[in-house]
Amino acid sequence: MIYLYIIGVDMAQPRVFCLVLLTVALGAQALTPSHHLSLSDVDRLKGLLSQPFTDLASAYYSIVGLSKLGASVADENDACQFLKAQLDPMSVDSLFFAAEASQAIADCEMPVFNETRDILLAAVSEDSTVTQIFRAVSALSSLGLPLASQEVVAALVARIAKEDNVLAITTALQTATRLSQQAELGGILEEIEDLAARLDDLGGVYLQFEEGLEATALFVTAAYTLSDHADTEPPLKEDQVIQLVNSVFSKKSWDSRSEAFSVACAAAALSSNRFHVPVIVSTQGPATVSHSQPILHLLVTDILSNPLASANLLVESAQAVASKSVVLSQAPFSLRNGIFELNFMASQPASGYYQFTVAVTGDSRLVANQVELKVKVSTEVAVTNMDLSVVDKDQSIGTKTSRVDYPFKAKGSFTADSHQNFAMNFQLVDANTGVELTPHQTFVRFHNQKTGQEVVFVAEPDSKNLYKFELDTAERKSEFDSMSGTYVLHLIVGDATLENPILWNVADVVLKFLDEEAPAAIQSKTLYMPKPDIQHLFREPEKKPPTVVSNTFTALVLSPFLLLLILWFKLGANISNFSLSPSSVLFHVGHACMLGLMYVYWTHLNMFQTLKYLAIIGSLTFLAGNRMLAQKAVKRLASK
Amino acid sequence: MSNSVISVISRFLEEYTTKTSNKLKVVDAYLFYILLTGALQFLYCLLVGTFPFNSFLAGFILCVGAFILGVCLRIQINPDNKGDFLSISQERAFADFLLAHTVLHLVVINFIG
Repeated sequence: MIYLYIIGVDMAQPRVFCLVLLTVALGAQALTPSHHLSLSDVDRLKGLLSQPFTDLASAYYSIVGLSKLGASVADENDACQFLKAQLDPMSVDSLFFAAEASQAIADCEMPVFNETRDILLAAVSEDSTVTQIFRAVSALSSLGLPLASQEVVAALVARIAKEDNVLAITTALQTATRLSQQAELGGILEEIEDLAARLDDLGGVYLQFEEGLEATALFVTAAYTLSDHADTEPPLKEDQVIQLVNSVFSKKSWDSRSEAFSVACAAAALSSNRFHVPVIVSTQGPATVSHSQPILHLLVTDILSNPLASANLLVESAQAVASKSVVLSQAPFSLRNGIFELNFMASQPASGYYQFTVAVTGDSRLVANQVELKVKVSTEVAVTNMDLSVVDKDQSIGTKTSRVDYPFKAKGSFTADSHQNFAMNFQLVDANTGVELTPHQTFVRFHNQKTGQEVVFVAEPDSKNLYKFELDTAERKSEFDSMSGTYVLHLIVGDATLENPILWNVADVVLKFLDEEAPAAIQSKTLYMPKPDIQHLFREPEKKPPTVVSNTFTALVLSPFLLLLILWFKLGANISNFSLSPSSVLFHVGHACMLGLMYVYWTHLNMFQTLKYLAIIGSLTFLAGNRMLAQKAVKRLASK
Repeated sequence: MSNSVISVISRFLEEYTTKTSNKLKVVDAYLFYILLTGALQFLYCLLVGTFPFNSFLAGFILCVGAFILGVCLRIQINPDNKGDFLSISQERAFADFLLAHTVLHLVVINFIG
C-alpha cells in the first residue's frame, strides 16, 4: 500500500514548499523509510535550536546542532562572547560545552589556563563517570591539548563494565571518536553490535531503545561517527538502518533542545557518513500522468531532504495493476533542475494504475535504494452512440429510437407505460485513444421534480463493452412507489482515473404506472416515529377440565380401595395375630410415619430434607421391622 | 369355541378358589385393587386429557410399580416356589417388598409435582 500526501507544489519558489510523504509497505523488496525530515521539518528543527540560550549547555546544543544542519547561530560574535563570559575554567562540564561550541564558530578561541589541562586529565580515570571522561577528552581534543589515548581506552573499558546502560556505552563510543586512530579501539567498536542487539523492534518498522528517542539518535550518531573514524563498516543491516531512520525521524516536534540536538546529529551522521546513506524517493505533486501532463516527476534526496549529488534514477519495471502486463522496463529518468523526469505517456499506457519499481544508483553507500510506487494514468471519457428508445414488450422492435449527443438534451420526452420498456444504449470511450472504457460508476438516475423521488440504477456493459440499460416499467414500479409522472433522466459516469466525470441530463421520461397507491410521502414520515408498543403475553395456563369431572374421577379412583377392604374381609383377613410387642408397635408407627413423610414431602419439603427424615425414620423402622419379622419367623417355624 | 373358553374359565376359577391358600388370595386381592386403580387413571387420561402430565405419569407408574412388586411378593411367598427361593424366607420377601415400596414412593412423590 502506498499513501501519498500532497500539500504544495513549486520548487522554484523556496517560500512555498512541497511536502510529499511516501510510505511503502514491505513487499518483495526491502524496507524503505516511512519517515524523514522534510524541508519544513528541518526548518522547524533549526528554529528550535535557534532559540536564545541562557546557559552554556543550551548554547552548546544550539551552536553545535545548527552547525550539523549546515546553519549557524544568528550572531556568531555574540555567541562567542557569551561562551567566554560563561566559562568556568574549574569545571569539566563548562570547559566541554565552551570548547565544543567554540569549535563550531569560526574564529572563536577559548582561553586555555595552566590548570585547564591538569583538571581535564585528572577527569580521565576509572573513578569518573563515562560522561565525565567523554567531556574531558572532547574538551582536550577541541582545545588542542595532548592526551594519552591508550589510558582513555583503558578507563573507558573499565567504566563500561561498571556502567552497563545504553547512554553510558553510547557516550563511550562518542569518546572513542576523539582518540587517535592508532589506539586499540577494537573492543569499543564491538560495543556497537552489542548495543544494537538491545534495540526494541516495533512491528518490523521501528527500532529504538526503550530509553527513548534521544538515546536512539545519540546511538546512531556515535555508531556512524566511530565507524567513520575507525574506517570499519558498522555492523548494522540495511533493514536495521531503515528502522532506525523511522524511529529517529518519526517525531516532528521536539520537547527539548537536547532532543533536537540529538536528532540534528543523527541526521547529519546519516546523510554524510562513509558507509550507509539512506535515500528517499518522493513524488513532486500527485503521482498522476495524463495527456495534458505526461511527465512523472520524482525527487531523490537524503534524509535531510538535500538532493543527492551523484544519483541516477532508473525504472526497473512498470507493471499495470489490472492486467499485470509490463509496460516499461529498465528506462532511465532524466535529470532537470534537480528533479528526475520521465515521459510515461510516451509508452502509451492505457488508463489505470501502474506499479513502478524504481532503483537509485550511483553511490555504493545508498541504503533502501529500491522503491515501489503506484502511478495513476488518467484520461478523459466521452459518451458516444447514446440511443434512447421505448420498446413494446410484445414486439422487440423499438417504436421510437432517438440519438442524443452529449451534452445536449433529447428534444422530446419519452413515454413508457406498463406495456413498454424504456431502453438506453451507449458507449464509453477514451477521448484520447478511442479505446472502450468500463468506469467504476455508471449510473442512470431518475428524478421526479414534483415528489422529490430519486431512483438510481446501474448501467452494465455487455461483452462488447456496450452499455445497455432497460427499465421495465411494470417490474420496477415498487422502486418508484408507483408514482406516475415526469422523471428527469441523468447519466452519471465516474472513476478514479477519469479527469472529467460526467453528469448529463439526457432526457425527460414520463412513466405511467397502473394502480397508483397512496402517496408514498407518508411512508417515509412514519419510518422514524415510535412504533406501537409490544405488550408482553404471559404464557397462557393450560385449559383445565371442569372441577366436576376431576372430582368424579378422584372418587372413582379411590373406590377400588373400598373394594379391596371388602375382598379382604370376605377372605377372612384379620389382624388377630397382631402381637403387641414393642418392636411391632414401633415398626407400624415408623411405617405410618414414613407414609406421612411422603405426604409432607409432597406438600412442603424438598428431596434433601425428606431424605434426611427418611434416613432417621427409616432406620428405626428397619430395626424394629427386622426384629418383628424375626420374631414372626421364629413363631412360624416353631408352629410348623 | 366359546364353549371351551367358558369351560376353561370356569375350571380355572374352581381350581383357584380351592387350591390357592388364603394368604395368596389376600395378595391377589391387593393386586386386583392396584390394577383397577391404574386402569381408572388411564381411563381418565384417555377421556379428559393429559394435563397435568407429570401427575398422571407419577400415579400410573406407582400403580405399575406396586403391581410388579406385589407380583414379586406373591411369587416369593408361594410355597410351591420354595425350591427357587431357598435363601429368601417369607419375612425377608415382605421386608424387600416394603423397602422397594419406600423407594418407589419416594420417586413417585418427587415426580407428582
